[in-house]
Amino acid sequence: MKSKGIVSAFFTAALLVFPLSSLLAYEGGAVSDGGTITGVVKFKGAAPAPKKLEVTKDKEVCAKSAKNDPGLVVSGGNLVNAVVSITDIKKGKKMEPQKATMDQNGCEYKPHVLAMTAGSSVDIINPDGILHNVHSYSKANSSFNMAQPKFKKTINVKIDKPEVISLKCDVHGWMSGWLFVGENPYFGVTDNSGSFKLTDVPAGTYNVEVWHETLGKVSQKVTVKAKEEAKVTFAMEKK
Amino acid sequence: MAVRGYDENEEKKSYGSVFLLGTSLLVAVSLWSLWDDNITRRPWKKYQTEFYRLDYRKAKAAYDEENKKLEADPAYQELVKKLAAEEASLKSGDLAKKVKALNREEIKANVRFTEIDQGVKFIKSELEEAWYEYDHAVQQGRNTRPYQETIQQLDKEKARLDPELEAARQKREQIKEEIKKLQTGVKEMETQLSKMAEERDKWIRVMENATVNLGPLSIYKIPKIRQIVLDEFDRNNFDEPTGRVDRCQTCHMAANRPGFENEPQPFRTHSRREVLLADSAHPPDKFGCTVCHEGQGAAVNSVQQAHGEVPYWESPLLRGVKAQSSCASCHLDVQKLQDAPLLAQGQRIFEQIGCTGCHLVKGYEDLPKAGPSLRRISAKVDPNWMVRWVQNPHNYRPQTRMPNFSLKEDEAVAIAAFFWSVSKEEGEKWQEGHPLPTGFREGDKELIAKGKILVESIGCKGCHGFADGEVATVLGKEKEIIPNLKNIAAKVGPRWTYHWVKNPRDFSPATRMPSLRLADQEALAITGYLMTLGGKSEGISGIEERLSDAKNAKRGEALVRKYGCFGCHDIPGMEKESRIGVELTTFGSKTLEELFFGNRADIRHTWDDWTYNKLKTPRIYATERIEQVMPQFALADEDIKSLRILLAGFRDKKAPSRYAADHSQRVVQVVEGRRLMHQYNCIGCHEIENRGGFIRKYYQENPTLAPPILNGEGEKVQSPWLFSFLKAPFSVRPWLNVRMPTFDFSDQEDNLLIGFFNGLSKVEIPYAYFDDGKVPKENLDAARVLVSKEYFNCFSCHKQGDRNPEGPQEGWAPDLTLARNRLNPNWIIKWLQDPQKVQPGTKMPSFYPGGPDNILGGKDDKQIEALRDYLATLGRKGSAADGGRSASR
Repeated sequence: MKSKGIVSAFFTAALLVFPLSSLLAYEGGAVSDGGTITGVVKFKGAAPAPKKLEVTKDKEVCAKSAKNDPGLVVSGGNLVNAVVSITDIKKGKKMEPQKATMDQNGCEYKPHVLAMTAGSSVDIINPDGILHNVHSYSKANSSFNMAQPKFKKTINVKIDKPEVISLKCDVHGWMSGWLFVGENPYFGVTDNSGSFKLTDVPAGTYNVEVWHETLGKVSQKVTVKAKEEAKVTFAMEKK
Repeated sequence: MAVRGYDENEEKKSYGSVFLLGTSLLVAVSLWSLWDDNITRRPWKKYQTEFYRLDYRKAKAAYDEENKKLEADPAYQELVKKLAAEEASLKSGDLAKKVKALNREEIKANVRFTEIDQGVKFIKSELEEAWYEYDHAVQQGRNTRPYQETIQQLDKEKARLDPELEAARQKREQIKEEIKKLQTGVKEMETQLSKMAEERDKWIRVMENATVNLGPLSIYKIPKIRQIVLDEFDRNNFDEPTGRVDRCQTCHMAANRPGFENEPQPFRTHSRREVLLADSAHPPDKFGCTVCHEGQGAAVNSVQQAHGEVPYWESPLLRGVKAQSSCASCHLDVQKLQDAPLLAQGQRIFEQIGCTGCHLVKGYEDLPKAGPSLRRISAKVDPNWMVRWVQNPHNYRPQTRMPNFSLKEDEAVAIAAFFWSVSKEEGEKWQEGHPLPTGFREGDKELIAKGKILVESIGCKGCHGFADGEVATVLGKEKEIIPNLKNIAAKVGPRWTYHWVKNPRDFSPATRMPSLRLADQEALAITGYLMTLGGKSEGISGIEERLSDAKNAKRGEALVRKYGCFGCHDIPGMEKESRIGVELTTFGSKTLEELFFGNRADIRHTWDDWTYNKLKTPRIYATERIEQVMPQFALADEDIKSLRILLAGFRDKKAPSRYAADHSQRVVQVVEGRRLMHQYNCIGCHEIENRGGFIRKYYQENPTLAPPILNGEGEKVQSPWLFSFLKAPFSVRPWLNVRMPTFDFSDQEDNLLIGFFNGLSKVEIPYAYFDDGKVPKENLDAARVLVSKEYFNCFSCHKQGDRNPEGPQEGWAPDLTLARNRLNPNWIIKWLQDPQKVQPGTKMPSFYPGGPDNILGGKDDKQIEALRDYLATLGRKGSAADGGRSASR
């Protein structure tokens, strides 16, 4: 009992001494003999029929293409636009900020989910020639809500802290997009067949998490061996 | 032979021992008195010595720490070495030689300069003389020629010497400069070093402050009383101003010094020192300590005495949160004090739970009655419910503000019978004109569903809860300001409910419940829904007869008078009754002798304990002979404690005005307006002063559908607009389902609220002139382009008079033609510069910085100004030549 107390006191002291950020810090470098994690995210249950989005405004521009609700897209039983990431990796491949692009062409965010590392910047482009606004809902980063009139073709924003940020356009209420900002470079968005691939993962056992905007999160432990491919299947369902 | 008067024996006797005894006693007593006076009776000396030691030790440690850092700093060490080398060189090396040579030259140059200077000075004197002779000759009419010649001669000589003198001066300066240059290296390095060692060397000063130097010896400072005198702070029994002496910092020496946060008392730094003791707040040199903490400021002979924790000292020390009760002696607006949350909480409870119905407190005299009017109560409630409610309201609704009078059933029946008898006539008359609508069918599913949707969307939940735990504005920890309606069907019927929700003031003119401008069908639907909440009250046998029994009513009247029901309720025939409780204006100053503990031996005899137990169990001090009637409010412990902090501040002495905080008209407006705002529960829906907006929890999915946040409203809108809006609210935000209700504010109330918002925003001048005629045409032209589809496309979301934007209503934004009369022109500028800063989370995006380059020279501020001008003139009738109008600021 007593020794337990001492141990926990030690850990509390350690927590006090080391700021939390140092625990989260990710160290990047060269990875040789890295393995790969590949797999699919399955959708449990009957695939929902695509829901049509009603374009209520600026129809001459926005209604050019038919739109489906991007909130839950299932393709061949697999989930599209889910983000798979390793949550507990401390050391691995180099983490470089990216220059990403989010396109609003036709009053739709493309890609619907954009994944990038913390510190990256994203060009939000408006080829529509009408007014959009980019309204972010975030906690770790400061939220922004910027108008993007016709003459402003590009807005550049830099996102410094890892989190999942929702993007909305208040002018066109149906528009919705997501920025997944990773704290390490190991993440991937499931493609149109619901599959993903994380490369150059140093050998080890990791917690791999799937995030989906409407279905929430699931995770499992995955062991990666050097130069080998670890296959994983996730399954998500409606709660 | 014996000499008279001479006693040989007596002469031979020795008094030495007596003298010795006397002298040693004297010495001992002197020593003792010295000891007693300086040591025993000066316990504070021990603390001060201890503090100096602590201070020195800490400073030394900090110094060593910094020193270690410097020692490990290669840059610093290198500089030290460089400086030493330079100094050595200057003393005996190369530099020394150069300096020596230069010094010699300097002497020579100096001699030369002095010689020439001497020559020039002689010539100047001779010139003076020659001019004198010349003037003299002119005055006497003599020949001036020789003098003129002398003058010319001397002038020539001087003209020859002047440049030589200048050359010699320059030579001398040049040499001086060279010497200085050779020495600057050292000076520069010294400044650089002391800058690098700043963090370290500041501790030297701290150490010096804790010690005195006696020649080569250094000892800790000699303790001495540190006192502050607050001129004319107190008043004596003859009401003459007297100073207050405050010696607390004799022991509490680090109260206003950082770095002692973790030391034991009396050496600890004051909590939140940077804020509370700041020069802009309460610098201890001006306010001392007892102003907030009480105690016996002048006493230093023992800790107990200094803290006033001795018998008969009437204001013992207030520790920790208890010091909050002192804030009210200088601050009128205690609600805005961030460091007195308990006091503010206590005040809110005190003002709203009905204390002032029975107790008079100066400054709280005019609060409205806490309970509803009972003039037509018989037309409103179920008689069975009434009896049970009177008997113990907490059974039906534990969170109600109504206290429990612990009555027996027959007493409750008697009181109900009295209320029935006085309200019967009025009630029946009202009922005649207010029948149940014919279309109403209880249990109509469609109607109920419609009613539920209305209740959840139009804003009822900003005030009322409709299920367990659903509550908008809480009072303290456990009480609700506005009834939870989860059991409402047990209390009232559909007929009353329908007419009540349609127009509450028709039934009860003084009610706080506003009208939501419901259509008949809407009122009907809401009635249908409400009647599904809870079951009907169980019948009490023979209730009708018992309530109409005149004997019961008579007994009830006596009970109503005994318990003072009219303190909180408007009761016919009792309008002029006065409060039944004791006045509490100076309750906090009551001494123990003035508090009646009854026969309770188990309660500690302190003011704190008496008050806590009184609020916890109001009749606790009753004895067999002495009855107590204060009812049970069933307050949570922490609410009792915050009320106690407020009560402790009800003192007979207030601080003189020169020590008081801002009591200007603006603050008075804020305090009065806030009271009214609390009374009408504006914060149920709106966030004001960063507090409230409790309804927002239902809008987490889409906060833009919640009622607007009103932080900074005074700065935002024009007072005349707000005045008429509050009188007759309309939908400013067409996308909201939630409705701003109509409160039927009186002119006075309306003005109080405007004063409140203006006061919060520090708007000193509510009216100012915006001259439409002076708006440049260039601005209007530019703004028209800016708002157009090609640019900002403002009307993509904003309404413009009758012209609605495209798309569904929830995407709309306010009518911009309202801006002219509604918004303060300066606020429009602030808003356009950064809407997110003014109202975080708003749908309005920022258009700036980054306006188009081709309009008004691409200058953002010019464009924003143009938009302001455009909005301030949009929708006006006639042309710009119409001239100006009043606008708020």
